[in-house]
Amino acid sequence: MPEPDKTVIIVDDDHDFLEMNRRVLVQNGYRVLCCTNYEDALRCIKKHRPSLVVTDLMMDSMDSGFVLSRRIKQDPELQGIAVIIVTAASSRHGFDFKPQTPEELAGMNADAYFDKPLSCPVFLKKVSELTRGRKKG
Amino acid sequence: MINKDVRILVVDDDEGIREGCTRVLRKEGYEVLSAEDGREGLELLRLHKDFAAAVVDLQLPYLNGIELTGHIHEEDPDCVILIVTAFASIDTAVQAIKRGAYGYISKPFTPEELRIQVEKGLSKRELALEARLLRERGRKNLLEIAKERSQCSTIIKCMADGVLVINGEGRIVLRNAAAVRIFNGSGIPPLPCDIDTLHCPRLCDIIKSIFSEDASSFIISEEVSLGDSTYMANISRITGEGYGAVVVLRDVTARRRLEKAKSMFVSLVSHEVQSPLAVIEGYLGIARKKSLGDDPASYTGILERSLLRVQTLRTMVSELMNLTALDVGKFSLKRFTIDVLGVLKDVVESCRERARSRGIHIVLETDAAQEEFMAFADENAIGIVFRNIVENAVKYSLEDGRIEVGVDDNDSHVEIAVRDDGIGIKTGEMGKIFEEFYRAKNRQTSSIPGTGLGLCLVKRILELHHGTISVSSEYGKGSEFIISIPKFEEEEDTGCMP
Repeated sequence: MPEPDKTVIIVDDDHDFLEMNRRVLVQNGYRVLCCTNYEDALRCIKKHRPSLVVTDLMMDSMDSGFVLSRRIKQDPELQGIAVIIVTAASSRHGFDFKPQTPEELAGMNADAYFDKPLSCPVFLKKVSELTRGRKKG
Repeated sequence: MINKDVRILVVDDDEGIREGCTRVLRKEGYEVLSAEDGREGLELLRLHKDFAAAVVDLQLPYLNGIELTGHIHEEDPDCVILIVTAFASIDTAVQAIKRGAYGYISKPFTPEELRIQVEKGLSKRELALEARLLRERGRKNLLEIAKERSQCSTIIKCMADGVLVINGEGRIVLRNAAAVRIFNGSGIPPLPCDIDTLHCPRLCDIIKSIFSEDASSFIISEEVSLGDSTYMANISRITGEGYGAVVVLRDVTARRRLEKAKSMFVSLVSHEVQSPLAVIEGYLGIARKKSLGDDPASYTGILERSLLRVQTLRTMVSELMNLTALDVGKFSLKRFTIDVLGVLKDVVESCRERARSRGIHIVLETDAAQEEFMAFADENAIGIVFRNIVENAVKYSLEDGRIEVGVDDNDSHVEIAVRDDGIGIKTGEMGKIFEEFYRAKNRQTSSIPGTGLGLCLVKRILELHHGTISVSSEYGKGSEFIISIPKFEEEEDTGCMP
């Protein structure tokens, strides 16, 4: 079990996606905060300094997730926070954002990238891996 | 061998010579007609007109040989005229030659001499005729070529595609009007000019590559961009007699734009479908693994949400089908004069139950004196419009809210107003709510199910009715949607449906 102060912020405009992952993460001992848009998320991140941010890609605009991840990684105070980008954008039709190499992933300012729906074991393993080495942001 | 299937005229007043010549020539296979004097000879000539040769005595009664030669020559410049003369009058024979005679033969002559002279004359005539035939054929060919060339140049000139012809040295030697238009931005130097003057490095590279020794293909097709436009460039190498290349440029900008829009739309649809599917799959996964413990009651919430998302998904598919049908013109409206108040009442009643469960009150206000509001509309389609607007009012109302639905009319339109005191719409989002898949997203709306297609469908249906929808709203205070539907069928010219 992770330490109880491992805080994860989930950002998604889909209420059910937030609720679902909130339950899964809480079940696994994380402290979870949910935000539905970029502005709320940034405010929440600055206030609570989570170990990890899990963000949807397409929210207010097509690339809200990228904007958020870049904002986090370029802020000296926030750059220790890990970022997972999650999307339901079909990779087969036009929006193929899926990174093919570690460099592309780094270019997205993300530590991991997942397609929706998330596979619980894979997702939890990644969350645990990304939060383990980090102190509270 | 000369052609002996020809007619020869013999004119001589000396019967012996006349008969002798006739006999000799007939024996050779010629058809021979004879005359005793110049006048008779002229008559025969005018009657038959097709003598290949004439043997004419210089001294003739009525019309002498020189005069007759002139007449024959006038009739047919190709007729071979052989003057028969006595040795003493050779000077006169020379005069006859000047008037167009072929040659002379002096008396006395042997049949052999006559035969040879006639043959020589006829073969010269044949050559002359052949030469003229060739000359005429040549002139005709030139005419045809000129005609073909002008057809070709008209076709090239009028082609909508840009055409450039490039010679082996990489210089442009021909271009049509469309090509001039395409490259207008980069200025148009006079022909022949270098391909670099096109200022399209990619196109120049392709042209150079087709000329290269190891070019694997004689035709290269590739898209090139020029300014804001996209062209499909087909470059063919000219082989055979000429050496060069033909470039045909077709404007595919509109097609590419459409394809891009289509692909964007498909991407959006797939995103909007995949998001709820991902949620449903996630919830079902939680239920199957019993992640929330053994109490079935713990799962009621997520199962309810799954059900709601499935229902929304189904609504979305049906709205998408309706929108597509509208776009391709397959959704034909059946418009009659109907009572829209009746349709509205049905919609309001069907929404009342769900509204009541959240403490929301719906009031339908109309002029009590007026029981019907007739409009020219498709009952089903207008039902979809009302349902979307009233359901939206319920969805975006706060608990214990109040929704007012009003109906009024003027000379030409029926107006339906749906007003709520709910969440409201931010000013910046007001223009976007009628767009496909646009949903106002904030903390308050994130759990409200919606397809993002409802208002888009409403707008399209009203457009087809020549009606309108407008919205006014204050964020946090509530919104008002006003629908306007024409009461009567439009005049012919405006009544067309897409």
